[in-house]
Amino acid sequence: MPKSPRPRARFSFSPTVRALLLAAATCGVALPALAAIEHEEVDKLMQAGKLDEAMVKAEAFLKDKPRDPQMRFLKGVIQLDTGKRNEAIAAFTQLTLDAPELPEPYNNLAVIYASQNQFDKARAALESAIRTNPSYATAQENLGDVYARLASQAYSKALQLDQNNTAVQPKLAVIRTLFTPTPPGAKPTALIAAAPAPAPVAKAAPAPAPAPVAPPPAKVAAAPAPVAAAPKPPETAPAPAPAPAPAASATANAEVESAVRAWASAWASQDMDRYLAAYGPDFTPAGGQSRKNWEEDRRARIVGKSSISVNIENLAIKVDGQNATARFRQIYRADNLNVSSRKTLEMQRSGNQWHIRKESVGG
Amino acid sequence: MFAAPGAALASNAAGKTAKTSGSVHKEKTRAKGPAANARSTARAGAAGRPSSAKEAKEARSAKSRKAGTAVVAAAATSATAARTTRKPAPAGAIQEASNAEARLIAVYEMFGRGQTRPALAKARDLVRDYPNFQLAQLVYGDLLAAQLPPSNSLPDTASIAKMRGNPAMAELHEESKRRLQALRDRPPANTVPSQFLALSTRSRYAIAVDASRSRLYLFENSDKGLKLTADYYISVGKAGTDKVTEGDARTPLGVYYITSSLDPKSLKDFYGAGALPINYPNPYDVRRGKTGGGIWLHGTPPQQFARAPLASDGCVVMANPDLRQLLRKVQIGATPVVTARSLQWISQPQAEKESQSITSAINGWKDARASGNEAQLKKFYLPDFQRSSKKSNEGISVVDDEVKYAQGKRVQLKDMSYLHWKDGDDTMVVTFGEVFEGEKSGRSRRQYWLRQGTDWKLFHEEILG
Repeated sequence: MPKSPRPRARFSFSPTVRALLLAAATCGVALPALAAIEHEEVDKLMQAGKLDEAMVKAEAFLKDKPRDPQMRFLKGVIQLDTGKRNEAIAAFTQLTLDAPELPEPYNNLAVIYASQNQFDKARAALESAIRTNPSYATAQENLGDVYARLASQAYSKALQLDQNNTAVQPKLAVIRTLFTPTPPGAKPTALIAAAPAPAPVAKAAPAPAPAPVAPPPAKVAAAPAPVAAAPKPPETAPAPAPAPAPAASATANAEVESAVRAWASAWASQDMDRYLAAYGPDFTPAGGQSRKNWEEDRRARIVGKSSISVNIENLAIKVDGQNATARFRQIYRADNLNVSSRKTLEMQRSGNQWHIRKESVGG
Repeated sequence: MFAAPGAALASNAAGKTAKTSGSVHKEKTRAKGPAANARSTARAGAAGRPSSAKEAKEARSAKSRKAGTAVVAAAATSATAARTTRKPAPAGAIQEASNAEARLIAVYEMFGRGQTRPALAKARDLVRDYPNFQLAQLVYGDLLAAQLPPSNSLPDTASIAKMRGNPAMAELHEESKRRLQALRDRPPANTVPSQFLALSTRSRYAIAVDASRSRLYLFENSDKGLKLTADYYISVGKAGTDKVTEGDARTPLGVYYITSSLDPKSLKDFYGAGALPINYPNPYDVRRGKTGGGIWLHGTPPQQFARAPLASDGCVVMANPDLRQLLRKVQIGATPVVTARSLQWISQPQAEKESQSITSAINGWKDARASGNEAQLKKFYLPDFQRSSKKSNEGISVVDDEVKYAQGKRVQLKDMSYLHWKDGDDTMVVTFGEVFEGEKSGRSRRQYWLRQGTDWKLFHEEILG
């Protein structure tokens, strides 16, 4: 199995998908630009936790364009977030039938199945997702989790152990929005992120051509919505593990992981507010720099890039009470730069949040 | 019409045992009696059967010989195993194996060839069809685990590692090893187990168990001789073989016959698709003071497709689909069952050569009887000779009576079977029918001969009917 990079926020898409999405977007009545804005608004409402509002907007939109895959997908995610699993399953299943090239609906079906302990169905869905898009990192990673659980189950059966697996449920990552290119002519508008060009992620590093579809003039390029802005664990997590004791530490682990991914995602989407908010008040920049200078430095380095991707691999988390250490391989790509390095983040808990206290290379 | 040696016993035993022995099992409850044939006594039934739960529990705790395998990544074991199988195992041999096993081996082979994905898919199909096939589950788990990224951050990583270290894994590894070995090392062409010196075609099938390979071989018998038609993985006693005393959890070694077929409806689930008791302790066993009883070939409980190589209290345990094939074929009283530590395979000419001495002994016995020479006839009997009969009111019980019985008439012996058993002693179990001149049918006899120096002597005889 290809090593699974762990960027939950990004994935590439195939030309066929792109074509399909464009076709879907342009054959409707509504202006494509408008469509993109609607999607963004729903997405933002979702991120703000205003799920009812998001649903109202999504349904209003779908009245006009009932076939719009992106909005149907968003609606499915809202249903998932609001615990309407069966409706979400129906929505995503229908999407897999109408647009079998899309990996995301398969991925989210897998998330739901896994939360229902139907790991073999989850596996099948994820394998479909990967068939449609082999470099789809989130699905790869989810599949790793599912394989591990299936392996664990098979071993239990081999040993005829009690099937009450006390291990923590694997937590699969939900994809929160379709990776759809903004159709030509769309205004950049209030995109949270001047988001990265759809540079193929994973191994296919040298993108054959930057943003092949969107005409370059408006430097918009295709703008993937800021996907998976740190999927909120409580909402996306499958049913909580039955065993309370291991669950506690696992919860902390998951919180730290989620914080790390949110940090990487904010960085990749060049969302400076979220990026800087990931660092706690007592964060000390390396080299004796003042916090203010450091922030300006980071801003200059991040905002200026036309695209950034930050992938995290081999994430290992150690939690010790209120402190945690996250070690991982960071694969950073920006413009023509492609740097892979070890990174260590020392994190500190304050309330429900984990903040970076120290960032260092190596470790 | 001459009655087949087996058929006579079958009609006798089947009717009687089927009623009662459904509730009689296990040597612990076995009523002790000198006659091996008194198997269907009802009184043992009241003593109750051994707790099958206990046996099941004990089965799990059976120690494996290879403790080290627990740590070895099981996938690697499978891969190695597959690689070694691939070379020598002829395709035909694998087809002869039971379906589930053949599919498991196919998974090994695919994995050995590097076809990981197809192997995984086949393993998944296999555990879907046989969810209780523990070894298949292990292989499926191994193949899945082989797909995981080298990371320890998955929630299931720890439990996987823990289960791989479980000592019970070693039993499954041993099962895997034995299945592969049995399929790799096939019996040489045109050979038979050395016990089958001659087998009358009245026995349409013959069974030989090789405990060292955890394997049961099924032969079809015709006028062309014995032909291996199938072989199956089996489990034996958790303490191994060479049963001596009651309760030693060992499987007996010797030559036996199937004595009945128990209706699975009368059995606990623990015994699976059915049970075929064998006549342990046979007269030779009794002569040597071996005790115990209730040795069956039986199936597996619902929750287990197969059991560990060393698992039972002395019975031979087969997967239910395999046992069902056997049930369709065996003949009560006529299907021999050889249980050996390790089978030796000999050619047909070799078998004929080895049966010469017993053939001349039998002919000598027959001639002495026909000539009415009691002194000469007596030489063929050991002093402690015993005779048992299914029909207790049968008149003959002493050697002298043989002469009266024969009345100097010419007699023809037919349907000869010689089963040779050699451990400390050299013994022969001879089954045949006799027809006196001018008659259409006669007795079936089963004689137990012991070699003393160069002479064969009778120490036991059963009149089958």
